[in-house]
Amino acid sequence: MPDLSFLFGQALSGLTAAMFLFLIASGLSLIFGVLRVLNFAHGSFYMLGAYIAYQFVRWFATTPGRFWIATVAAALGVALLGAVVERVLLRHLYGREELYQLLFTYALVLILSDAAKVIWGTGQLSVSRPPALEGAVRIFGTKVPYYNLFILLLGPAIALVFWLVLHRTRAGRFIRAAALDREMLGALGVNVSLLYTGVFMLGSFLAGLGGALVTPVKTIVPGMDVEIIVEAFIVVVIGGLGSFWGTFLGALIYGQVLSFGILVFPRFSIFSVFALMAVVLILRPWGLLGRPLQT
Amino acid sequence: MHRRSFLVILFALALVVPVVAIGQGKPIKIGFPMILSGPGALFGEPALKGAQMFVEEINAKGGVLGRKLELHPRDTKGNADEAVRVSRELALKENVDFLVGTLTSAEGPAVSVVAKENKIVFIAPIPKTDQLTAADKLHPYVFRVASTTTIEGRSAAEIVAKWPVKRVATISPDYAYGQDVTKSFVEYLKKIAPQMEIVDQQWPKLGEADYTPFINAQLGKKPDAVFSSLWGGHFVTFAKQAKPLGYFDAIKYNFIGVGEAGSPESTKAMGADYPVGIWGNSYDAFYWDTAPPAHRDYTARLSKYLKDEYPSSWAIQGYIGVQALAEAIKKAGATDSDKVSKALLGLTLDTPAGPLTIRAKDHQANRGQLYGKTVKDAKYPFAIMKPLTYVDPTKFMD
Repeated sequence: MPDLSFLFGQALSGLTAAMFLFLIASGLSLIFGVLRVLNFAHGSFYMLGAYIAYQFVRWFATTPGRFWIATVAAALGVALLGAVVERVLLRHLYGREELYQLLFTYALVLILSDAAKVIWGTGQLSVSRPPALEGAVRIFGTKVPYYNLFILLLGPAIALVFWLVLHRTRAGRFIRAAALDREMLGALGVNVSLLYTGVFMLGSFLAGLGGALVTPVKTIVPGMDVEIIVEAFIVVVIGGLGSFWGTFLGALIYGQVLSFGILVFPRFSIFSVFALMAVVLILRPWGLLGRPLQT
Repeated sequence: MHRRSFLVILFALALVVPVVAIGQGKPIKIGFPMILSGPGALFGEPALKGAQMFVEEINAKGGVLGRKLELHPRDTKGNADEAVRVSRELALKENVDFLVGTLTSAEGPAVSVVAKENKIVFIAPIPKTDQLTAADKLHPYVFRVASTTTIEGRSAAEIVAKWPVKRVATISPDYAYGQDVTKSFVEYLKKIAPQMEIVDQQWPKLGEADYTPFINAQLGKKPDAVFSSLWGGHFVTFAKQAKPLGYFDAIKYNFIGVGEAGSPESTKAMGADYPVGIWGNSYDAFYWDTAPPAHRDYTARLSKYLKDEYPSSWAIQGYIGVQALAEAIKKAGATDSDKVSKALLGLTLDTPAGPLTIRAKDHQANRGQLYGKTVKDAKYPFAIMKPLTYVDPTKFMD
């Protein structure tokens, strides 16, 4: 029996991974919930967030707080890009068959990944932890880096803010209404078009933020876009597409299954996650907290 | 009239150009499948540059057999299927005469099959898996100027055997290279240091993004030394996650990273995040002070070619790969793959890293690597290995 401090460390590492996944997957789920578009390029936005953060850290190499400047710049930059994509391109595909939207966002994946290669090259780039969060603290005999603690606190904080916006503000009410019946909302005089842009921006913002925050922990490489989108899809499928708390739950489960999966099947760590997804799909095709699609 | 005179010029050119081409001899085409994107590009890109430098240098001196060498690089994306696809395209569409290239141990054996099908010589400058030149996979057209997993695993075991440790663990990517080199390490360590015990083995998938659970699991087994074969960007990601978890402190930096964890590229990429104090290896180092005399000149040329004060350690593998081919063509006096293949058997070439001989028995060069403990050096903005030892592989080759 492994000792408790080890199990605690393992659980914590799963939790940290879950918070990152939640940041990315919640944006994906939100966009799907409201716009009914499965945005393949969401992973590319995440990747761009990472690259932009790297770029800003380089530009502000001697400024204190450069990491935070870079994080904000990356999130806002990606949100802006999201707005442009939605208003100029995606807009024309609403109401078309889902296949067109899927093809369009997939094309975006290819374009953005090549663009990133042209701008930043194919090498791997690395960003250091912000100096204030460099150390680590020992909890129950396990060393926990401050940065991981920060992520562990930030995840639920963002979830809470997100929930409050959705459920306690006027804009949030419109967003939820749009998810249920966009025609009715439009008929009631709400500017649905603007709302869509806003939601797409918000989703992109979260992707960019996730990409920037992940840079001190992972390396920035071409291909990180596709990797994350697969994981994010698994999370939303487990939790339920379009369900906010479902995404949170899905991310938590994903993190823990991956963490403890490697203890049970050391050589098939990724297998446990896919197995879980398969089981969920068989028993509850609409996800743990999702709603069955009305036909 | 304008149009007419244009046509006349075109016609004249059409007549002249082939004559010129025949006069100089057609270029010898070399396909160069290599990882040029993704985490492996950190090594693949400079390997290509080294090959290009060799080609430019030899062409400036008149080429080989009076013909120029022409390199045709292709991106394998670090994927064996893609490597096979681009190699087939090179062999069948581009009609290359030879193949030099591939980086991972998945790509090497896959492209070897393509070389066998098309009966063209293929020289692997980087993949290390023993399977590439194993008796059942060997064919007349495959050669290797890279090190092997046997050489690398045993070299590392010899170093670890001298450490005052008992509980040894391993962490390796779960594919041909990681498995083979780890097996060689473990088997040889058991033989030469029977007092040591393997207490844990972690096998993250190749390209794992989050090593934290593996790191925790390994720490849970309380090893006092670790052997790793995470290479390139994989090592960088791993070390970045392991360091703040106190991983290297827990094993008192008794950590040996093969897969070139000690290369200037890796230490440079990580800067202050590098776990200085661990052991690593590398194919080359611009600061290699006990190198053969030709090395200093090579480094100076490379530095100029790459416009990099601290030139890459991977360029040398691309350089040697094409060099072996060029010398074999010279020796054979022909570009026919069957003749070049015979010329490669037992060929000795004088490389910037010293003389190498390609054994006739298994088409394998006696390529060893540099090993050392990483330290901070005031002269450089990143860690270097010091003292640096070239481990001669001859005694490790069966």
